[in-house]
Amino acid sequence: MQMSHRLAVFGIVLALCLPAWAAAQPWTALSAAQQEALSPLSAQWNNLPQTEQQHLLKMARKYPQLTPLQKQRLHKRLLYWSQLTPEQREGARQKYKAFRKVPPATREQVKRMVEQQEAEKARAASAVSAAPTGGNPP
Amino acid sequence: MSQQLDHQQIRQLLNHSAARLDEPVLSGLRAARARAMEQHAAQHAHTLAVSGHGGRLGHGSFQQHRLSYWIAGLLLVASIVSGIAYWQQTSTDTSDEDIAILTDDLPLQVYVD
Repeated sequence: MQMSHRLAVFGIVLALCLPAWAAAQPWTALSAAQQEALSPLSAQWNNLPQTEQQHLLKMARKYPQLTPLQKQRLHKRLLYWSQLTPEQREGARQKYKAFRKVPPATREQVKRMVEQQEAEKARAASAVSAAPTGGNPP
Repeated sequence: MSQQLDHQQIRQLLNHSAARLDEPVLSGLRAARARAMEQHAAQHAHTLAVSGHGGRLGHGSFQQHRLSYWIAGLLLVASIVSGIAYWQQTSTDTSDEDIAILTDDLPLQVYVD
């Protein structure tokens, strides 16, 4: 077999193995769009495992299709999400899927209830921060 | 009226005729058979060599065959490894669900223990 044929075979083998050999990418190697989508993770990106980076890059591909509100939510939650254990994330996915099967009317009720709770928490937090030191009696 | 002969009868007739042939005719037939066998063997060897390495005739065809088998095996292994990696990536792809959770109306804490 000639040398050119051997090189061609080596190239084909290498190309076939590429999907299994995707290396981790430094933050600076990401495109501007990817950096924008994953901006909350810029500080720890280089320390993330390669599989985690690949997963997040897949998520970043969908970023342009999101509404401004969804983009805001994603940025607000991404750091917390990345710090969860794989088991916690899987549990969240299962709960999300289960919640999707709940009838729409019930889902809306739950959403309203959660929104009320969140609003109460926010009011309580702002009341605590606004209270003068030494505080009024409850 | 022609008589129908079966294979057995034809063989007996030929054997009988061959036994009555003269020695020069018999030796000529033996030589012709030997030449035909040599020609057949040569054609068979040529066919193997052509299918083995793209028409190049020469020495070391065994090594060439062995190298071809190694390359074919290597390509097969690379394809399997690549296929497994692709399957793992696609079968465990949860990016759609994760995006949906992270952009959902409900806060993340609702889903996380």
